[in-house]
Amino acid sequence: MEPRVRHFVRNSEKAFADRQLQVALSRTTAKFLENRAAAVAEFPRFEGARESASRIRQEALDNLDAHLARFITEARKRGAVVHAARDGPEAREIAARIAKEEGVSLAVKSKSMIAEEVGLNGALEADGVEVVETDLGEYIIQLAGEPPSHIIAPAIHKTREDVSRLFEEKLGEPYTEEIPALTRIARRRLRDKFFSAQMGISGANFLCADTGSVVLVTNEGNGRMVATLPRVHMVIAGIDKVIPRLADLPVLLSLLPRSATGQALSSYVSVLTGTKRAGDAEGPERLHIILLDNGRTGILQGKYREILKCIRCGACINVCPVFQSVGGHAYGWVYPGPVGSVLAPLILGLPESSPLPNASTLCGACGEVCPVKIPIPGMLVELRGDEREQGLKTPAEVLGMKAYASVMSRAGILEAFQRVAGVVSALLFKERKIERLPFAFSGWTERRDFPAPAPQPFRKLWKRQRGIRPWTR
Amino acid sequence: MAQKRGISVSLFSTCLADTFFPSVCFATVAVLERFGVDVRVPLSQTCCGQPAFNSGNRKEARRMAAKFLSVFQGEEHIVTPSGSCAAMVKHEYPVLFRDEPRMLSLAYHVAGRVFELSQFLVDVLGVDDPGSTYRGKVTYHDSCHLKRGLGVADAPRTLLKAIRGVEFVEMEESDRCCGFGGVFSVKYPHISCRMADRKIERILETGAQVVTSGDIGCLMNIGGTISRSGYPVRAVHIAEILAGSEGAVP
Ligand code: SF4
Repeated sequence: MEPRVRHFVRNSEKAFADRQLQVALSRTTAKFLENRAAAVAEFPRFEGARESASRIRQEALDNLDAHLARFITEARKRGAVVHAARDGPEAREIAARIAKEEGVSLAVKSKSMIAEEVGLNGALEADGVEVVETDLGEYIIQLAGEPPSHIIAPAIHKTREDVSRLFEEKLGEPYTEEIPALTRIARRRLRDKFFSAQMGISGANFLCADTGSVVLVTNEGNGRMVATLPRVHMVIAGIDKVIPRLADLPVLLSLLPRSATGQALSSYVSVLTGTKRAGDAEGPERLHIILLDNGRTGILQGKYREILKCIRCGACINVCPVFQSVGGHAYGWVYPGPVGSVLAPLILGLPESSPLPNASTLCGACGEVCPVKIPIPGMLVELRGDEREQGLKTPAEVLGMKAYASVMSRAGILEAFQRVAGVVSALLFKERKIERLPFAFSGWTERRDFPAPAPQPFRKLWKRQRGIRPWTR
Repeated sequence: MAQKRGISVSLFSTCLADTFFPSVCFATVAVLERFGVDVRVPLSQTCCGQPAFNSGNRKEARRMAAKFLSVFQGEEHIVTPSGSCAAMVKHEYPVLFRDEPRMLSLAYHVAGRVFELSQFLVDVLGVDDPGSTYRGKVTYHDSCHLKRGLGVADAPRTLLKAIRGVEFVEMEESDRCCGFGGVFSVKYPHISCRMADRKIERILETGAQVVTSGDIGCLMNIGGTISRSGYPVRAVHIAEILAGSEGAVP
């Protein structure tokens, strides 16, 4: 996906104007949040589970190379072919080569953000491979020719009515707004694809180092079908997906669906270990696993390494009031919301993504819900600091901040400013409000008033009222 | 009424309240003095540095933080009518000085002495009735930094509910950000206003005459939106309700 992160402001304006989007956003995020709150309330060990999950993910990162090596050995032992991709182009090349060597003309795919990150579909399609998305949400946006706008609910920006119209237009199906009917249409369309595809493509929610297993969590069961029906299964996963032990799964799985959609359990969890063995009822004959770095080793070595603990549950996205206002497409890249605002600068580069770390009120809601306790707000502030250090701030902001610090460095200077402001304010703003601020502040007063400075600041009044005592200085 | 003689408090007035809302500072003093607290106001204080810190301008933030620490070091209790300013000192000063051991220990020392007003009244003074009178239906907005930063959500409610004449109503999504975010509201005014709109919607649903909060920033944002659109509700700082002295400057 071509990043358009720089256009965040323009993108958000577009989102505001889109009434359908606003309806869809508030419906879905509200539902997710309500369900999440209920699921957490019914799960008294939630905080304890968060603590353990956070520790497990930290442990995985602390020894990532060892766990990865173990994963690769174990997966190979069980028949998998493991490939390492340094970046997006390399991953695309490997995937295209696999498709060619395995003689693939049709592939079915379950939802994968990593595939979006590297632009996998485009690479395969350019080689004449038809890639069909089988997750309902992904199927919808593939039909619409749009990128996903949420990591859990890719079509969150579409209302039921949008989907009905889309199915009518693109598939020639009779118009229906019934969700079960829409699902049935998609299922029927997909069934043939599942049986004729030569390859299934999926991401991975976790990679277990001690067994070489790939864990897939889905709600529709399509992940399992993608992984087991076609002859070849191709997995693409970030190297950060490794967990030390299969035994770590239960606690992670107790948090992932609860945090994501508020379900106690996802409908389908598949632990896929190796290729089909003699006597197995199902499973792929060939299993390829592409492990993608794409900047992750670099992140691991720096001060933002904790972001790699992320299990992509999307809770921080659902709860973010900025996301709720602008939607996922405004962020301009694969990962929206708070997690995206940290990942984009780290993977795409800070100059390329500089609006994102700033596009947060630091309200802290994301950090509060994150099941693996990633301090996202702190990271956003840290990135803003890096921006200053790398000279990416506007001269106006830097100058403004220097001026602010000079005024505030001495109470006397502040008082002088307050005196002037008080006089001006008494003359100009009789109603004690400012209706138009100048320059960079003009946006503030477009739809709100700004308070006028008091004629006399508090400390001055206090001095007059109580007199100055030596210890007050 | 519990009187706590011998407790002395240093008022951290905050630059915003000092400049724009002196009545909030006076109300804070009045409430504290009502409980026998000896309040002093260090006159050389200015700003805690939050605008610089939050926008990633660490150098300026560090300069402000150092100034704040030099003014307030040695004080027994530092009380402020602003949740976000308290959270700044408590949680972010240690971040700013993580590489300067001497400043870091001073930062921790002072951080342990900073309280937001309602938190101080309830947790330190043990107040459960502010002993004031105020007429009206009041709803409360949780400031992000007061609730998620300092973990203070019950104290203001306990106090508000105990005030004679106050009919307290909860709003939906009371802890959803109002969209202020300091520099955010200047850099992204349109998003900020969308968030304020939703907050106002929730406030109006309650039918309250007054919305209150423990943070000057939120009240500037919510109050400014109300004043521009003429909504039938007022934004009043919680200190003024506790003091029963809205807008009063001696
Ligand atoms: S950062 Fe935390 S809350 Fe956000 S997607 Fe990752 S795990 Fe979930």
